[in-house]
Parts: sequence; C-alpha cells; structure tokens
Amino acid sequence: MADTMGHSATATRNTSVAISFCLLAIAPQIFEFIWSFGTIFGWGAGRGPATVVISHATALLAGAPSALIGAIGGDTKKASSDVLLALIYSYPLFAVAILTLFMTIRSAQDYVGGIVLMALALFALWASSDLQGMRGFSFGAGTAPRMFGGLLVALGAGIALTGLLVDGPAMAHYSWRGPLFVMISIVFFALAIRPLGVVVTAFVSFLLAAMGTHETRWVEAIIVGACLTLGCALLFPYVLGLPMPMFPRFLVQ
Amino acid sequence: MTFIRALAGACLASLCGFVAPAQAQTYPTRSITMVVPFAAGGPTDVISRIVTSHMAQTLGQSIIIENVVGAGGTTATARAARSTNDGYTLITGHMGTHAASVPLYPKLAYHPEKDFEPIALLAGTPILILARKDFPPKDLKEFVAYVKANSEKVNAAHAGIGSVSHVSCELLHSILDIKPVGVPFNGTGPAMNALVAGQVDYMCDQIVNAVPQINAGTIKAYAIATPERNPSLPNVPTTAEAGLPAFQAQAWNAMFAPKGTSPAIIAILNAAAIKALDDETVKKRLLELGSVIPPPKDRTPEALATLVKNEIAKWSPVLKPAT
Amino acid sequence: MLDLFHNLSLGFGVVFQVSWWSPWWLYGLSLPISINILMCLIGALVGTLVGVLPGIGTVATVAMLLPITFGLPPVGALIMLAGIYYGAQYGGSTTSILVNIPGEATSVVTAIDGHQMARQGRAGPALAIAAIGSFFAGCVATVLIAVLGAPLTKLALAFGPAEYFSLMVLGLIFAVVLAKGSVLKAIAMIVFGLLLSMVGSDIETGASRMAFNIPELADGLGFATVAMGVFGFAEIIRNLDAGAEMNRDLVQQKITGLMPTRKDLIDSTPAILRGTVLGSILGILPGGGAVIASFAAYTLEKKIAKDPSRFGRGAIEGVASPESANNAAAQTSFIPLLTLGIPPNAVMALMVGAMTIHGIVPGPQVMQKQPELVWGMIASMWVGNLMLIIINLPLVGIWVRLLRVPYRLMFPSIVIFCAIGIYSVNNAPVDVILAGVFGLVGYWLIKHDFEPAPLLLGMVLGPLMEENLRRALLISRGDWSVFLTRPLSAVLLGIAAFLLVLTVLPALRAKRDEVFTESEN
Repeated sequence: MADTMGHSATATRNTSVAISFCLLAIAPQIFEFIWSFGTIFGWGAGRGPATVVISHATALLAGAPSALIGAIGGDTKKASSDVLLALIYSYPLFAVAILTLFMTIRSAQDYVGGIVLMALALFALWASSDLQGMRGFSFGAGTAPRMFGGLLVALGAGIALTGLLVDGPAMAHYSWRGPLFVMISIVFFALAIRPLGVVVTAFVSFLLAAMGTHETRWVEAIIVGACLTLGCALLFPYVLGLPMPMFPRFLVQ
Repeated sequence: MTFIRALAGACLASLCGFVAPAQAQTYPTRSITMVVPFAAGGPTDVISRIVTSHMAQTLGQSIIIENVVGAGGTTATARAARSTNDGYTLITGHMGTHAASVPLYPKLAYHPEKDFEPIALLAGTPILILARKDFPPKDLKEFVAYVKANSEKVNAAHAGIGSVSHVSCELLHSILDIKPVGVPFNGTGPAMNALVAGQVDYMCDQIVNAVPQINAGTIKAYAIATPERNPSLPNVPTTAEAGLPAFQAQAWNAMFAPKGTSPAIIAILNAAAIKALDDETVKKRLLELGSVIPPPKDRTPEALATLVKNEIAKWSPVLKPAT
Repeated sequence: MLDLFHNLSLGFGVVFQVSWWSPWWLYGLSLPISINILMCLIGALVGTLVGVLPGIGTVATVAMLLPITFGLPPVGALIMLAGIYYGAQYGGSTTSILVNIPGEATSVVTAIDGHQMARQGRAGPALAIAAIGSFFAGCVATVLIAVLGAPLTKLALAFGPAEYFSLMVLGLIFAVVLAKGSVLKAIAMIVFGLLLSMVGSDIETGASRMAFNIPELADGLGFATVAMGVFGFAEIIRNLDAGAEMNRDLVQQKITGLMPTRKDLIDSTPAILRGTVLGSILGILPGGGAVIASFAAYTLEKKIAKDPSRFGRGAIEGVASPESANNAAAQTSFIPLLTLGIPPNAVMALMVGAMTIHGIVPGPQVMQKQPELVWGMIASMWVGNLMLIIINLPLVGIWVRLLRVPYRLMFPSIVIFCAIGIYSVNNAPVDVILAGVFGLVGYWLIKHDFEPAPLLLGMVLGPLMEENLRRALLISRGDWSVFLTRPLSAVLLGIAAFLLVLTVLPALRAKRDEVFTESEN
C-alpha cells in the first residue's frame, strides 16, 4: 500500500517536471513575445507581438516538420531562424519532456540540473547556428561554440543520466522573496543610475534590497542606507575618480 | 591640488552633460567632454590629451577625456553620434572609427559622414612594414618579391579585426595582390611579442610601438608608408624611395562633433585646435611620438570632410565585411 | 653580483630620494619628504581599496587614475600605478574570504577555502596568512626580477600559440581537480564557462557570436559581471533563503583568534614556498599566467596533501598557496615589460601608456636607457610590499569586526557596492542587469550542487585557449601535430593528461564502489 502511494507521488512529480520542461522548451519564444510588447511603445527594434506569435507558431507546428522532411528529401533550402530554433532547441526538449514521463527519477537535483544545462547548450547551438564553420584548415567563427555546445549537451545528458541511475538529493527548496527583491534592486539601480545619479539610486536600491528579508528593521535600515549612500557618493566619484552622475538630471538642470 | 581640481572638474562635467544649447558667442561656458574611443595610453588617447590640454588653455574651460572602449572604437563613436550637439561632447575619431569601419561593419550604428561635423585633423601616426629580425628579405624590393613568391607560406600578424595594423596590412596585401594567412592577436602588445619571438613573419604597425624595438634590433623595418622619412627613424626609407609608392597609410586622428553642432562653435574649436598644433611644446611632444603634424591647408573642417570621404572610398574595396 | 648591488642601490636611491617641502603655512620651515615613497604609499592604499571593493577591477582604476599621473614625474607615476596593481592583489583576497566575492580572477580559488575558514570563525587567520604569504612571495619575486629578469625573458619568448594552448588545457584540468564534488559536474561547469566566453566578436573574423545584437555584448561578457553574479549576488540570495539565518548567526558568534596559530604557520610555510615558486614562473608568461598560477598552486596543494578531503572545507594551505602564487605572479609579470618593453596584460599596457605620455616608450633597451626608472620601480616593489603588510595586518581586526554587522544590514550594502563596481567597469547599466541575471543563474547552480569556480576558470581561460588554438593551427596550416612536436607544448599536455587520469580514476572507482554497495543492500 505504502509502495503504491509512493509511486503515485513520483508520478505526479514527473508530470510537473515534464510540464516545466515543455515550458522551458518554448521559453525563448515566450521571452521574445513579452519583449515584443516594447515595440508597441516604440522601444527598441524588433518584431511586433502579432508577428512573433504567428511566425513562432507556424515554425513550431508546420515549418519545422516540413523543413525536416525537406532535409531528408535532399531539399537544401535554408531554414529561417524561427524554424531552426524549433528544430534545434524546442523539439529535443519536448522529446526529453515526453521521455521524463516514463522515467523513475532517483535524484531530481541531478536530473533537472542536467536537462537544464542541456537546454542552455541547445540554445547556444541555435545561437551560433548562423556562424561560419570550418574554412579549410582554419576554424570559422562558429566552430568552437558548436564544439563546446555539443560537448555540453553530452555532459548535460550524462548528468541527467546519473540522476536516473544513482540515488541522490531531491529538488532543493527555492525561496522567492530574496531573489525577487534583490533583482528588483539591481534592475532599479541599472535603470536609475544615469538619470537619477548615485545619491538617489544607491539609497532607493538599498531599501529595495532590504525588503528581501523579513528581518529588516526599517528605522535602522534607513539610517544605515543614508550613511552608505553618503559614503558611496564620496568614495566612488571623488576618491577613485569614477565618472558617474551624483544627483538627478532634472534637479541639476 | 590639480588632482582634486581634475576630479572636481570631472564631476562637474558629468553633472552638466545635458544643459540646453549654449550660445556660440559665449561658448564654452563649462567644461567639454572629449570621448576617446580607445583605452587610455594608446596612440589616439595620447595625441588627444596632448592637443586638448593646450586647447583647454585657449578656450578657458577644461576638456575632460572620457575613454570608452569596445568593438574597435565603434561603441564609443555610436554613443558620441547620438549625444547632444551643443559642442560640449566631442570625439577623437581615427582612421578605423571614421573610415575603415564603414566597409568592415555593415550594421554600423552611425555613418562617419552623415552623423558628424568635422572639426580638425590633429595628428597622424605613420605606419611601418615590420618583420622578424631573421626574415630573409633585406629590403622592401626583396620583401615584395619574397612574399609574392611565398604567399602560401608567410604569416602576417595583426592586432585584431578593425585595428590599424589589420586594415593597413590588408591595404598592403591588396596592392601586392596576395592573400597570405593573417594571424590575429589581441592588441599590439601580444602581436609585437610574437614578432620579436619570431613566431610570425611580418606585420604593419604604428610607429610609436615599433621604434624602441627597431632601435634595439629585435625586429626590422622595411619602409615607412608616408611621403617623408620620420625624424625618429631617419634610416628607414619611405615606401616611395624603396619602390612601393602605392602603399601610403597613416593612422590619422581627428576631432569631430555630433551632426548639427553650430558652425560658430565648430569655428571656435577649429581655431583652438590649430593654435594647439602650432604651439612649440605641443609640436615637440607630438614629434617625440613619431607623429606627423598636418600642414596648415589640411587643418580646416572642409579638408577633414574631404579626407573622411576619400578614406572611406580608399578602404571600401580593400576590406570585406566582418560578418 | 656587483652590478646587482649597484643597480639595487641606485633603485633604492631613487625611491628614497628626499626633496624639501616648504608649504606657506609653515612660515619658511622645510620638511624632508620623499615623493616616491609617498606615491608608493598612495598606490598601495588605492590598490588595497580597489581590491577590497567588489567589482572595481585594477584595469578600470588604473585607467581612471592614469590622467592624474600625467602631472607627476614618470618614476613617481609608475611607482604609484605599480602599487595599485600589486596592492589590489592583497586587497582582493579580503572580499573573497569575508563574503565569498572574488574581485579578480586570481582570487577565485582563495574564496573556496578562505570563505569556508571565515564560516568556521577563522577569518582572522585566513586574512593574516594571505597577507603574510603575499608579502613573502612579493619579496622573493622582487629579488627574482632583479637577479634573473633578463634570462627569464627567454621563457616569455619561448611560448608561442601552441604552448599557450597546451598551458590553457592544463589550466582547465586544474579546474577539474579543484572541484569538491562530482567530476562530471565540474567538467560540465568548465564547458559552460567556455561557452559563455565565446559570446562577443570572434577574434579572427570579427563576426558577432551569440550577442543577439546587444551592443554591450559585442565585446563579450565581462569577468567582473559574471563573477559578481555567480559568486556575489548568488551568495546573497542564497543567504536570504528561509532557514539560512541560523547558519549566519553561527558564523558571527564563533569568531576565534585574529592571528594564525603556531600550527597554522607550520602548515602554511611549505605551501607559501611552493606557491611562490609556481607563481614566479607562471607570472612571466604574458596573458593568463597569473590566473593559472593561483589555480595551479591550489591544485598542487590538494594533490600532495595527506588528506585532500580537507580542501574546500577550510584548509589554510588552500589560502596560503594561491595567495602567494598570485602575488608572486603579479610581480614577475613586470619582467616582460621591463626587459622587452612589451606589456603582458591590460594593466601593464596602461603603464606603457603612462610612460608614452612622458615621452618614454619602453623597449628592450629601457633598462640601459632608463636605469633610474627600472630600478626605482623594482626597489619600490619591495618597499610597497612592506607597506602593504604593515597596512594589512592591523586591518584584519577591522575586517573581522565587519563580519559582526548583522546580515540584514550587510547584504543590501554588498548589493550596492557590487552594483556600483560593475557599473564603473564600462559605465554600462546593462552590465549590472546581466550580473543580476547571473546571480539567478548562480543561485540555480547552488541549488543543483554545481560549483561556480570551474565555470569562472573556463570563462577566463576559454578565449585564450580558443585564440591560441586557432593561431597555432593558422601558423601550422592546419597541422594538429604541432602541439606534440613542440617540446614545451608536449610536456604541458603530458602533465595535463597525467593529472586528468589521476583525478578521474579515483572518482570512477569511488562511483563504482558506490554502485556496488548499493546493489548489495
């Protein structure tokens, strides 16, 4: 009885792992989709959201299989970058996700770690697929990235395999509060340092980062943050002579 | 004291990099930022510093050098092209950033002619044909014959795609109509090291880096690619004297402002630059570096515009796109 | 020998040159001061500061301070810049040990055992032994430069692309050896690092690789960006995890003695000696020498130790040896500059710039033509090292007290310092965001028990390895046998193969045993 219960538990775990692999398989497409909203507001150059959805959907559903058949049939027409992304990155990961359903994972830590490394390597293979390969005896720009990308796919698979064969730790627990606020603080710093200057940016980033833990006592944090800001404002531009704005632009103007 | 003042100046400048366009009659009212697209201490940086320190005296405002490195100087040049055209952000461009980059990088984020107002040509560093000390040819004629006969075997070193040593050697190769193997290095230091060690056969490089090595006999120079011999290497013949007059190359450095900077400001800056080039101490320091100071007729903004145009035309057939 | 003493006395003469200073507020009184000693002190202090502050590297600082030196006499300027350079080697170990953030590629390995020592409350001895080791190595290397500078130059010239490639392969094998856990995972991390190092423009064709048209990626990912991410930010995020407070408080309460015990000194003495020798030799090689030196020193200690399992868990030799090696290498890397006039790394290239602006272009004859400059600089290195140990030993107490600051205040401060540091390298906000992303990557790596140190080594050595491989093949016209026919290269590859076998065999055996014991159960 206990045994079957344990088994069904792993089964649900496996389904969720497989689903997350599927999400990982289309992560670059989703990222470009989110990014493409920027073009509506005129930020950056790139395709609009509608184009992104249509081209990736056709690449995933129709373009890639036909390219695959074409390749077998000897058709050497060059595939578009979206189709290549589907072929090189998404399909192998979908395959892994399906395989995952039938596996007994003995160490989720190693298995998931290996597969994600594999995904990174496949992505690198796609990113370097447009680069030139060997030209006679000399390496092309793409030779080394493809070599190491291939090697990393193999190593990732190897690590995943040990996760299937050898008992090991399960997935570690992730917390969200620390990473979230530290990231918000870093991103705020990056966006604000030029327009707002060291003084405002350092102080606000300090408080944002301090939100990352429930231990923070606010009065203390504000005092320390202010002292730190003053110290940074003196240390970096003056003592070390690093060129950075001190105060917000609109105030100076 | 100057230490503190320089720092205070730097801070002030970074604070005020965005004030509304100043009137030309009072220009400059605050310090000027000069972007140098290469690392501090390189030939372009040194020439900029020598000239701007004198210009600052003439203009009565400090000129702060900001070194922004990356992608063969094109990162900084692209940034300068987009900066406010109020005369407070200038750039020292050179042969690479304002000419050779056009054919090399098809996706260049700026165009040297369309996005910049020329101010003045500053100084150029002559280019030498150098070889390892035991390379068989004795003079330039023998060198030409040798590399033509052995173009499959010889190795030419260069300091990376887009560097002066790379583009000038490409020019030499196109004149000789050969395609020897180019061995890339990460900067002139490692390339020179390989030449001194005899791992590569020859390279083309700027005079500044090469003079001490030539004088010490660790490498040899066949010719200098300028119309006249250089005082720091009186024994090295010019390419014309040695029998290859077609090979003329100089790493010129010039001052530019973003497009749309008012002509009055350009005139003030041009006058200050010319005054600096005529100053005896500035001249002496530039000559110590082996630089060539342009004659008065080449110092006008118009002459610089023509130079940029001609240089782009000169490099376009020689260099092929990097990607 | 007489020459040497003559030269050294000339050098010390330059360093201790006294000039009389009579400021107006002393009303005619004059004070004797030595400008060069002052410059050396300023350099050492700035260097320590730069080394301690995470993110800000020596290259960026020297580049920033270069314009200031234009107003100084050339000897003073160079003494100051050199001081910054080796001062940063002392300071770099501090953040590695205290907060597990290596500021320079050379202090990555120091973080492995140094930070473990700090967690066991032994930050004081770790910092002190790092300073003592650095001082000893600095003194030895200075003498070495003075005595053997010229003959050692031949080594730098004997290293062609083929030899460098083999050296880089050896360096990557070191990264496998220093891994604590699974060999497979360590190799995967190295390859991941190699892949990251491929981002940016290709050296041979200039083609943009995996840069996704982001201009800030055109020149590749910066070492500081990735190191601050996978070490600095990741460590912070991990420490914020629920349940991690207990460990942190434990660290803060346990701090024991500040200075190394007798046993510590006895343990570290041979390690310091070995580190110094390795560092002095590898430092001469331009490009990557100093990084490989610290890794090589650590690997050597781990391999010859009676109980290698102590490494990675706070072994003092794991701090003493690489710290000695990196300081020795920092000093001997001046040899190619002083004897050939060729700068072996970016900091030295900036020093050449400083000389150029004063009208001195260094070349093979710089020792004959500018003896005051060369010997003044060599003598100043010894003086500088003496100053640094005098500055650093008392600082140990202050640094250790810093550990008592509650973590809730410490971590936002580290975030800010790291962010400013990364921003200052290129004045690029994108770098800060990238470091944040690598922070998340690093957090993920920790959760999946991957080690970040091999990744960083792969990233540092990757470009050097690829470039030299391609150069060697270009010169040999595609003939792969050059790596075996050139004796130096063959020896290096031989050592690499030997080390790999030595590392992989026990790991395989252990794995097999593990599998067997399991099946028996």
